[in-house]
Amino acid sequence: MATQTESQKKLPSQENLLLDYIRRLEKHKKGRKVVHVHLSKLRPFNRRDQHIRMAAGHFEKLIKDMHGQVFVLKNADLFFIFKSQVLPQTETAVRKIQFVFSDDPLVTEDGKDGVKFATWYDAEKDFDKILKVVQGLSKSEQNRKKEVRSRMDARAVLKAKQEQGEPLTPEVLARIETALSRADLSNLVRRQFVCNVDRKMVPVQEFSELFISIKDLRETLMPGVNMLSNRWLFRHLTETLDLRMLSMLTKTDTISLSGDISFNVNVATLLSREFQNFDDNIAAGRRGSMIIELQKEDIFSDLESFLFVREFVQEKGYKVCIDGLTLESLQMIDRGRLGLDMSKLLWHPDLVDGGEPAMELVRTMVKHDGPEKIILIRCDSREAIDFGHTVGITRFQGRYVETLIAEDNRRRELLRLKRRIERN
Amino acid sequence: MAELKNAQTMFEPTRQQAEERLLEQLNRVETSSHGYYSVHIHLSQLKHSNRQPHFINIAARAFDTIIDDFDATFYQLSNKDLVLICHEVPVDELDTVIDKVRGLFNEDPLTIVDSEDFEDRLATWHDLSVTEEFASFYSIIAEIAVEAERLREEAKRLQNEQAEKGEPLTPFNLAEISKKLMAVRIGDMMQEQICLLVRTGGGGEIVFREKYFSMNMLRKRIAPDTNLFSSPWLFQFLSESLDKRLLNVFCEQDLEPLVDNISLNLNIATVLSKDFQKFHRHMDGQASKMIIEMQIIDILSDLKSFGYARDLLQERGYRVLVDGLSPVTLRFLMPATLKSDFVKISWVSESEDEEENAKNLAEITETVHQTGREGVILARVDTEKAVKWGLGIGVSRFQGFFIDKLAESMSSKPRKKAAK
Repeated sequence: MATQTESQKKLPSQENLLLDYIRRLEKHKKGRKVVHVHLSKLRPFNRRDQHIRMAAGHFEKLIKDMHGQVFVLKNADLFFIFKSQVLPQTETAVRKIQFVFSDDPLVTEDGKDGVKFATWYDAEKDFDKILKVVQGLSKSEQNRKKEVRSRMDARAVLKAKQEQGEPLTPEVLARIETALSRADLSNLVRRQFVCNVDRKMVPVQEFSELFISIKDLRETLMPGVNMLSNRWLFRHLTETLDLRMLSMLTKTDTISLSGDISFNVNVATLLSREFQNFDDNIAAGRRGSMIIELQKEDIFSDLESFLFVREFVQEKGYKVCIDGLTLESLQMIDRGRLGLDMSKLLWHPDLVDGGEPAMELVRTMVKHDGPEKIILIRCDSREAIDFGHTVGITRFQGRYVETLIAEDNRRRELLRLKRRIERN
Repeated sequence: MAELKNAQTMFEPTRQQAEERLLEQLNRVETSSHGYYSVHIHLSQLKHSNRQPHFINIAARAFDTIIDDFDATFYQLSNKDLVLICHEVPVDELDTVIDKVRGLFNEDPLTIVDSEDFEDRLATWHDLSVTEEFASFYSIIAEIAVEAERLREEAKRLQNEQAEKGEPLTPFNLAEISKKLMAVRIGDMMQEQICLLVRTGGGGEIVFREKYFSMNMLRKRIAPDTNLFSSPWLFQFLSESLDKRLLNVFCEQDLEPLVDNISLNLNIATVLSKDFQKFHRHMDGQASKMIIEMQIIDILSDLKSFGYARDLLQERGYRVLVDGLSPVTLRFLMPATLKSDFVKISWVSESEDEEENAKNLAEITETVHQTGREGVILARVDTEKAVKWGLGIGVSRFQGFFIDKLAESMSSKPRKKAAK
C-alpha cells in the first residue's frame, strides 16, 4: 500500500488535482460555479482524444483571463470551475461543445430519461454534492489504476477476465466474425503516436500506429463479451481484423493516412492474396513510410514463413517491427538475427523493479540497436518515460504520450494567441 | 511481351502447359536468336519447407518489373523452376531481381554463393544466340517438360491428399468439434513414445515415456472431415480442452507406482488451472517421476505465466520440458534462458543437408552446450542418420519412430535402471 500512496504523490492525476482543488475551494466557494460536462457518455467514436482536446479548448479564453480552471479527466469528462460573472460565456462555451457533438445520442437525447450533457452546480449551495462527485471520480480512477497494475499478474488477469463478461467461445467468435464481415469498422480505427520525448517532456511525433479499438469493437458488436478471455480465439480474431484493416488502408478515403504509419498484422496475412492486393494498390513511395508490426509468438509459430516474408516486405520498402517484447523475451530472442527494423518494448513496472540488471539489459539493447530503433510502449505514466530516459530510450508510445501531445498543442496555441495579441 | 500475357489469360480454359509454351517460343527464337538469352532460376532445388506455393508465387512476382519494362517472357514451370526468355534486356536489371529472390530464400543453402565456385546454384544463364548454349538449354527444358507430366500427376495426388485432410478449422466448426471432444471416449487413444539415452558404446536407458493422444485416431472419431491443424491458434484452443481430458484419464485410474518416468504435454493455462491441482493431489508424491512438456508458441505468448507455471511445477518436484523447437528456431532463441529441465528439438530431414553450413552446426552445438547436454532431446528421429547427427552436436537423448524400434530390440536384453 505504501508504494501506491508514494506513486500517487509522485504522479498527481487530474482526478487528484481536481479533488485537491475542490477541497481548497471550500474557503472561496462564494460566487463560484461548477459545470461537469459528461463527455464520457459520448459514443466511443466521438470520444477520441482530439475531440476531447478540442472540447476543452472552448474554455481556454476564460482560463487565460483567470475566470476559471478546467480539468480533463481520464474518462474524458470535463470539470470547469468558474466565477459566477462569466456564467453567460461559460454557457456559450458548453453550447458550442454540445454543437460539435450534435449527432451523438448524448446531445440529441439530452434531458430524456436521465441523459444529461452537462450538470451545473453552485459552489456555495451545492458544495457537498460537488465534493461527493469528485471524490467518486477520484476513487474510480484509483481503482482503474489498481486494476491496471493487478491486470499484469497472470492469475489476477484470469480472474478479472472471468468477471469481465461472457467468455469468448467458438460460438461467440463465429458470431463476431460474421458480424465483422458486414460492419463498417472505419469508426473504430484509432491512432496513437510514437513520439520522441526529450527530458523536458516535449513530444515530437515520429509516426502513428493505426489499430482497431478492441474495446469499442466489443461495445459496438458484442457488448458483454470479453474478447480477450481466450488468447487463442482472440488471435484468430486478429487475423480477420487484419484483412479488414488492409482493405481500409487500401481505400484511403476511409481513413486518413497522413504521415508515417504502422499497423499490426499476422505473418499468415502477409502471405495472403489480400496483402498482395493491398501492396499492388499502394503507391510505391508510400511503402517506405509503412511499418509492419508482428507479434513474437506469431513469428515463432512459423519461423520459416516469417523469414521469407520479412525479406519480401523489406525488399518492397516496408519496415518490420517486433511488437510486445518484455524483459523476459528480450533475454531470450536474438533480435539482431531476426532482421528487424524496430522493436517495441512493453512498459511494465517490472523494468524498474528489476533493478540494475534489468536496466543494464535494456541499456545494452538500446546501445546495440540504436535509440531510434527501440520504442517503449504502453507508457501510461511519467514513470515510464523517466525509466526510458535513464536507459537511453527516446521514443515512446502510450496514453501518457497522448497527454503530452495534448498539452504541447495547448501550449503552442496559447503561444500563438499571445504573439497575436502582442502584434495587435 | 504483353500480348503473350494477355493471350494466356484469354485462352485460360485450353491453356497449354508452361513447358510446352516455352519450347514453342524457343523454336521461334531459334531462327533469329540475336540478342536472346535465358535465365533459369532453380527453385526446384530449394529445401522442401521453402518450396511452398505461396513462397514461389511471391518470388515470381519479383520479375513483374522486367516483364513490364522490357522484352521478356516469364514461365513458371511445373517443378517450381522459373524461366525468363529475354531479348536485349540489360543483364544488370536481372541481377537486381535475382538478388531479390536470393534474399527471399537467404536461409536456404541454394542461395549461398561460394566465392570459390564459379557456378551460382540459384540461377543459370544461357546465351541463346550461341548454338551450343541454345541446344543445351533446349535439352534441359525438354527434360523438364517430360518430367512435368509426372509432376502433374503427383500434384493431383497431393491435391487429393489435401482434400483428405479436410476442411479448414474455423470458429464455426470449432464449436461443434470442441463439444464432441469433451464427450468422446478417449482412454483407448492414449499412446506412448520412448525417450532414450543412447550411449556411444551401445545400449541405452529410458529417460521417460511420453504419453499422448493419437491425433489421427482422435480426428477420425470427432472430426473426420476437418483439418485440425489448419489454424495454429484454433488448434491451441482445442489442445486446452484436450488437456482436461488427459488429466482426467489419469485421475480416473488408480495409480500404481510409476516404474519409468512419464511425460505429458500440457498448456500453460492448464498447469495453472484447478484441473491440474486435482491431478497433482491424485498423483500423490509421484511428481518427481513426471515431466511436463509445454510448447514454445504457448510460452512465447505469455512468458510471465510460463515463469509462474515453471516455478510452480519445479517447486512441487515435476520437471519441465520446452517442446516445439527446431534447428532453425535455435538460431534465433536461447532456450537456456527459460530455465527448463529439458529442451526438445525436432529433427527435420533437411538438417542433414546442411553439411556445407558448418557455421550453423557449430552454433547449434554451442546452444546444446549452453542449455546443458543432459537436458537436450532430439525428437522425431526416424533414421539412424538422425541419431548420428544428434550425437555430432552433442545430444545423447533421442525420441522418435527409430528410437521406438531400437528400444524394442533392446528390451530383450536385461533392463537397466531408469536414467535420471
